[in-house]
Amino acid sequence: MRVLYVTSVILGASAILQGCGRMQPEFSHRDEFHELIPAAQVVVEDTLREHYGSPTDMVAWEKLPLKFSAASGRVTAVEEGTATPSSLQVSLNTGADDIQPGQNVDWLTGTLLPASGEEYTATREVVSWDPETSTLTLDAPLPEAPAPGDRFVVDLGGVLEHGRTLYAEHCQHCHGVSGDGAGPTAPYLNPPPRDYRLGKFKFTSTQTSNRATREDLSRVIENGIAGTYMPSFKLLEPDEMQAIVEYVLWLSMRGETELNLVTYFGELEDDEEVQEYVEEDFKEEFEDDISFLARRWEVSQEPAALVIPKEGRVEVTPESLRRGRALYVSDKAKCASCHGTEGLGNGPQTLAVQKDPDGNEYEHPGLYDDWGNPLEPRNLRTGIYRGGRRPIDLYRRIYAGIKGTPMPAFGTALSDQEIWDIVNYVMSMPFEEREPGDGTKPYTPPEQLATASPE
Amino acid sequence: MKRFWVLFFMFWPLLALYVCWVAPAYDWWFPGAAASPLGQRIDDLFYLILIITTVVFIGTQAALGYVLWTGAQRSDEGSEERAWFSHGSHNLEVIWTIVPAGVLLFIALYQMDVWAEYRIKTSFPEEVRNDPIAEVTARQFEWRIRYPGVDAEGNPLPLMPDPQPTDLYTVNDLHVPSGRPVMINLRTDDVQHSFFLPELRVKQDAVPGLVIPVWFEATKSGEYALLCAELCGWGHYKMKARLVAESETSWQTWLQELKAEQEFDGVVETSEEE
Repeated sequence: MRVLYVTSVILGASAILQGCGRMQPEFSHRDEFHELIPAAQVVVEDTLREHYGSPTDMVAWEKLPLKFSAASGRVTAVEEGTATPSSLQVSLNTGADDIQPGQNVDWLTGTLLPASGEEYTATREVVSWDPETSTLTLDAPLPEAPAPGDRFVVDLGGVLEHGRTLYAEHCQHCHGVSGDGAGPTAPYLNPPPRDYRLGKFKFTSTQTSNRATREDLSRVIENGIAGTYMPSFKLLEPDEMQAIVEYVLWLSMRGETELNLVTYFGELEDDEEVQEYVEEDFKEEFEDDISFLARRWEVSQEPAALVIPKEGRVEVTPESLRRGRALYVSDKAKCASCHGTEGLGNGPQTLAVQKDPDGNEYEHPGLYDDWGNPLEPRNLRTGIYRGGRRPIDLYRRIYAGIKGTPMPAFGTALSDQEIWDIVNYVMSMPFEEREPGDGTKPYTPPEQLATASPE
Repeated sequence: MKRFWVLFFMFWPLLALYVCWVAPAYDWWFPGAAASPLGQRIDDLFYLILIITTVVFIGTQAALGYVLWTGAQRSDEGSEERAWFSHGSHNLEVIWTIVPAGVLLFIALYQMDVWAEYRIKTSFPEEVRNDPIAEVTARQFEWRIRYPGVDAEGNPLPLMPDPQPTDLYTVNDLHVPSGRPVMINLRTDDVQHSFFLPELRVKQDAVPGLVIPVWFEATKSGEYALLCAELCGWGHYKMKARLVAESETSWQTWLQELKAEQEFDGVVETSEEE
């Protein structure tokens, strides 16, 4: 009896301790990573860890066009007449409005940056920031005066860390720790949560070749995506929204980097080839690709990347709707081939066998997105528009397509007026009279239909 | 030690009396004063019930204290009084059945008009009874709101049961005029949710397949919490939205702004950037 009692106490205690243990979040790898030879896996793993760190210990890699910290800048001048100044004249690269008292200032260059292994003694707190005179006042004198041009950062990594915390709270259970769209809730969702690791986001305001803007992501977070499981997070504060967007972009860039890495190393077959590649071309190619990736995201944030109609929306008139309908079913716009002549999302393409990016046929007929998920063209009669219900949102869907999906861009094939006519028609579809025989009203014999006045 | 237990059991009615007395002042039961007239009446009902239960609790504890005290006296050294066995008293049984039944009947009748005003549509304020201001659809895990929009002159249109081309949409952001009753039609797209405005003391389940009218009146302009009070799934805690009560004119201005935003065709953006 005593043995039974002791055993049950031990079992109970271990169960409690097990339950209380914190699971350490870890980045998972792409499927292709596991197909690499072990030596290549080590290089990919090390490269990712060096530049991105881990979910709990992130690396702010300066090459990435992200807002890691509250602010960063250079010293332009130091307070005169003191060898240990506490007031600096600076020029900021970013974050002029985000500097708050109490944030840490750390040094990235100059004599204040300790050599590796030495203790950091030059971290100071912001006491005040005067944007008019560009003066940063610190809580204590620095050990020595920085030289003009020395770079510093305010609240090192703070934005990204804030984003990580919020992401873990609100997003991770669907989108996963790595942003691979494979969180614990994901198996129950249709459509599946976005996998950020291709760098693609569906509903953007940008040209076909561009990535999403930060505003596109924050708009989705704020309003959710109607008709999907993505809910609205309208009550997030602006700084919370910014932090989440930066973290999602960071995850996306990490995913793209991993994709590039597994592509380089996927072709190598033995340790020797890996070693040779690492010693010769890898560094240069990697640097080039990261610069390209960074530039691509940077360019997408510029106003030139936005899709902006040259002409305003065409007035919704019966003529415009007729033109829209004619285009909708025409070979020029081909809307009906996927969305169906009635807009029910059942066009002939949904029954055709499609090819994957490698040129192989998918097992089942129908459309697929770039993530390999089967895709149904939108039923336009539901009045649910995932990318937003403003006319400009629909215009952008038609002009630039939906990224990562078979919805193509018609910006060059159709004029503004034609796109607006289609937008008007599509927006009228939920309210359009249905054809006889579609199940919504009694069947009208053809002779009566012919005599009915076609207004 | 015997009398310690008497004192121990007497401590709780005193604490209950204190808690009952100070609870309203410290908002232990509610998030501040009710922000709606009907909410105030619900609070009054709540406090009435609190007083009744406190009085009953103190009464029963006092009786318990008396029994313990006399029991302690009887077991004192030298006491010749003995415990006695009572089989039961018909009169007492009748009294303690009739008194609580009377109290419950009183509460049931006393609250009936508040309940009717709150839940029975024919008792709703007449001006809102057939004029919902919006349709609120709960969904895992957000509140999608459909307004009937405004006509060409800027006058609010009536809400139709089915979506109309003039409808306006928001999510997690319910705007209503303050200082007058308003009614919404409550629906749910998926599971059972509960439309909860704690500051206004409004709580109504949203049941799949039903359109449930809910009326309320925000006394003052301001921002109030709109939550889901049903454990409707894993992301239940995310269903936090806001109710913005504002003056009639600013509500109408907001509707106009919403209309302008919803009809945005990107062209203003061009001129702004230029």
